[in-house]
Amino acid sequence: MQKKSHRCSRVVLAVFLLLLLLLLSVGVPNAQQEETTAVPEDTSAQAPAPPTNVKAYDTPNDNGHSITVTWTLSADDGAGRKNVVSYEVLRSASPDGEFELRGMAPAGENIFEDKGAKEKSDANYFPPHKDFYYKVRARSDGRYSESTVSAPAFAYGQWYHKGKTPVVVAVLLFSTFCLVFITVARKGKKLYIRPLAGIEAVDEAIGRATEMGKPILYILGLGSADMIATIASFIILGRVAKKTAEYQTPILIPCNDPIVMAVAQETVRAAYLEAGRPDHYKEENIFYLTSMQFAYVAGVNGIMLREKPATNFYLGKFYAESLLLAETGSLAGSIQISGTDEIAQIPFFVAATDYTLIGEELYAASAYLGREPVLLGTLKGQDWGKAAVMIALLLGALAATFHFQFFLNLFTVKL
Amino acid sequence: MDQGHQEEEKSFWEKLLSIDRRIIFLFITVAVAVPLFFRLSLHIAVTPVAEGVYQAVQSLPAGSKVLVSFDYDPGSMPELQPMAEAFFRQAFRNDLKVIIMGLWPQGPLQANMALEEVFKDKDIAAKNLKYGVDYVNLGYTAGNEVVIDRMGHSFEESYPKDAYGTPIGEIPLMRGVRNYDNIDLIFNLSAGYPGTQEWVQYGVDVFHVKLAAGNTAVQAPSMYPYVQTGQLSGVLGGMKGGAEYETLLGIPGRAVRYMFSQAVSHAVICLFIIIGNLAYFSLRRRRKSQMEVQG
Amino acid sequence: MSSELIGVWIGAFLTLGIFSFLYKDNPFYKFSEALFVGVSAGYWFVVTFWQYFLPKLIDNLVLAYTVLTSQGRVDYHWVYLLGGGLGVLMLLRLFPTVGWLSRWSLAFIVGTTAGLQFTRYLESNGIKQVQGTILPLIVGGSLNTTVGNIVIVVGTFCGLIYFFFSKEHKGAFGGAARVGVWFLMITFGALFGYTVMSRMSLLIGRMDYLFQIWLGLY
Repeated sequence: MQKKSHRCSRVVLAVFLLLLLLLLSVGVPNAQQEETTAVPEDTSAQAPAPPTNVKAYDTPNDNGHSITVTWTLSADDGAGRKNVVSYEVLRSASPDGEFELRGMAPAGENIFEDKGAKEKSDANYFPPHKDFYYKVRARSDGRYSESTVSAPAFAYGQWYHKGKTPVVVAVLLFSTFCLVFITVARKGKKLYIRPLAGIEAVDEAIGRATEMGKPILYILGLGSADMIATIASFIILGRVAKKTAEYQTPILIPCNDPIVMAVAQETVRAAYLEAGRPDHYKEENIFYLTSMQFAYVAGVNGIMLREKPATNFYLGKFYAESLLLAETGSLAGSIQISGTDEIAQIPFFVAATDYTLIGEELYAASAYLGREPVLLGTLKGQDWGKAAVMIALLLGALAATFHFQFFLNLFTVKL
Repeated sequence: MDQGHQEEEKSFWEKLLSIDRRIIFLFITVAVAVPLFFRLSLHIAVTPVAEGVYQAVQSLPAGSKVLVSFDYDPGSMPELQPMAEAFFRQAFRNDLKVIIMGLWPQGPLQANMALEEVFKDKDIAAKNLKYGVDYVNLGYTAGNEVVIDRMGHSFEESYPKDAYGTPIGEIPLMRGVRNYDNIDLIFNLSAGYPGTQEWVQYGVDVFHVKLAAGNTAVQAPSMYPYVQTGQLSGVLGGMKGGAEYETLLGIPGRAVRYMFSQAVSHAVICLFIIIGNLAYFSLRRRRKSQMEVQG
Repeated sequence: MSSELIGVWIGAFLTLGIFSFLYKDNPFYKFSEALFVGVSAGYWFVVTFWQYFLPKLIDNLVLAYTVLTSQGRVDYHWVYLLGGGLGVLMLLRLFPTVGWLSRWSLAFIVGTTAGLQFTRYLESNGIKQVQGTILPLIVGGSLNTTVGNIVIVVGTFCGLIYFFFSKEHKGAFGGAARVGVWFLMITFGALFGYTVMSRMSLLIGRMDYLFQIWLGLY
């Protein structure tokens, strides 16, 4: 077992170093061509000095329908009687051909992106892999002067967006952590999760309902079946349903979403089967109410006041209705356990319910109760991800304090 | 301290903690209702995040195209409708072109209600704004964040027709508007999901659009990190945010008018919190001293 | 009596019916609640048909069929058949013998959403926020900014420690977690205050509706 964990650590370290190398290899796109000195075309005494060093190159990290043009500002930009007000960027398919205006840049700006559409049917279609020539005009009070024509440039698409390298590194790093720990968990190694107060109260709350002979109300929240909080709630529901099957305590699950209802029915049915009480499963106790937020709350509040459940579980995605639910449950005298990752609603649950699983504790609770290797592995992976973020924060704060720009650039996602 | 006095003190604090909640409801009702009858304008301090929204719109030259996404329903009207009206006022006064859409079914209807109010203003009525030329309502389309992503490639794929069934190719304002490249600013009014977070994730960080937002007070704090990182130009938070926006525009409206009620109700709530905490800690101290005496 | 006036009176009646719950449960509240639940269910049914089913499935399939018959080519809109098929599989839940087929649709929904959101959340809510939290701990000439930066960095760091589940909160680690809890609770207090403001705003809106629009008192 020790050898295996050493191997795992080495794999993780190797991947981490590889990703660091990848991150460091992000370079700057090379300009395609160089430029020569400019000669003013308009020899009028009023014309401003022309821009110089016009460079055209493929716009990096795009889909191949854009060329970027840069130039050195006119000497009259921001000074003198011949003050430049704007620059005009012109393009032609040949150096001697007719130039068309592609756009303008204000005075003081020396970069312009000549973009077009990707559809051939579009009037502004920008063909890739076709040479274009550019020149830039400096304009001032109706007069202008032009640079010389740039060397040709053509647009082409890039398969990989270098600016997003930090995202790639993060995805690969996090995925590696999760996969490694899922593998470790599947091999039977015990992965430690610290105890959570809300989880320990679950059994006690179910017992209370059984003693009082009252039902349990389980609210899965207003999220859809694909939301993480709802999925975590399904897993906890499985555990709660198994207990209610053993104790023969009724469980009521009013649902906000038809798909959530479908999954909840599956989950509870499976739990009752596992507990050896499939005949006690009542599908009518898991029902769809309405998809409209406050109508759902009104319905659930009515159920709480009429059925007077001993225990309420609020686990999942909640929005503005959280306090309405918790307050009514408190009025009905129920013991309440809540958990959501919706930050704005956590304060209400903390204030109005007996136990609250804050944010990620909901996911940890589902891993803790479910004990499935995938859940445990991903929780551990998340923890290592958090550790990486904490290290990055500390190092980054120090780098920012002592102005180490290199480290700051590692985390900059360029668009 | 004699037993009789202890008995009296105990019952007073216990009574306070177990006060019938209907009395509290009554106090709150009075605190909210009575100020509505007084047209008292409070000084509205403008926050930098609200200023960010104002400047994002104000900095646009005349003729710029703004996409406004109405992502809320009538349940959030008191908070977001004043923002919508204020935005339309600013946009039309600055001769901006407005493209309305919604990721919530009722959103575009809220937009029409806001437009109806704003068109009553004399200066805006005098502009004789035309549908399809100065503003257009594309309506609602299902798909949540996928719509945002799709519009980055083609508006027509998500909105082949406007809210009234006209193909968007036939609408003058939409000619030349292929995707976000042709939009100068996106303003999002959001009450939940899908909303501002999805616009940031799929609009700003994928297509690098400029985004400003108005949110309900519940979710406004969650948007501040986006303002700090520059993903959002600014955010208006709740009715107070609407009041700040109206103040910046110099057109005090409903949001400013409601602030007096808001302030009084907050003061009453603060008072109850203080009383409740005093009662709680006093009782806790009494129980502790009783246990020490018994021990 | 105009329809708008009738609507205002119905709105006022239902508002007061729901508010009556604050006193105690009563038939007016029950009626208003039942009406709200029923109307909203019907409303969503109508929205689902006219905004989802018709334009996203039927119209697209009709378009694909039209292109096939008139131009003789296979249009990409046929891909909506896949979505329609998955929708039909969901409906098979009503039949116990073949209800298991609905799991394919659920798996598709869960998997697609996870893939769609994974990189988005990681970039927008993860990396960009880490980027925004990498701040200098000492900013010369500005005590406000220095203190603010330290609070942000320390708060984020200790908050992350609180949510670290692989180690028990003991010793220095436990101390940092405790600091994290304090930061969290202060944040929740601020969020609570903001949300209370939101609730009061909604109540103000309702009161204004009753006093101004319904009763015309001002």
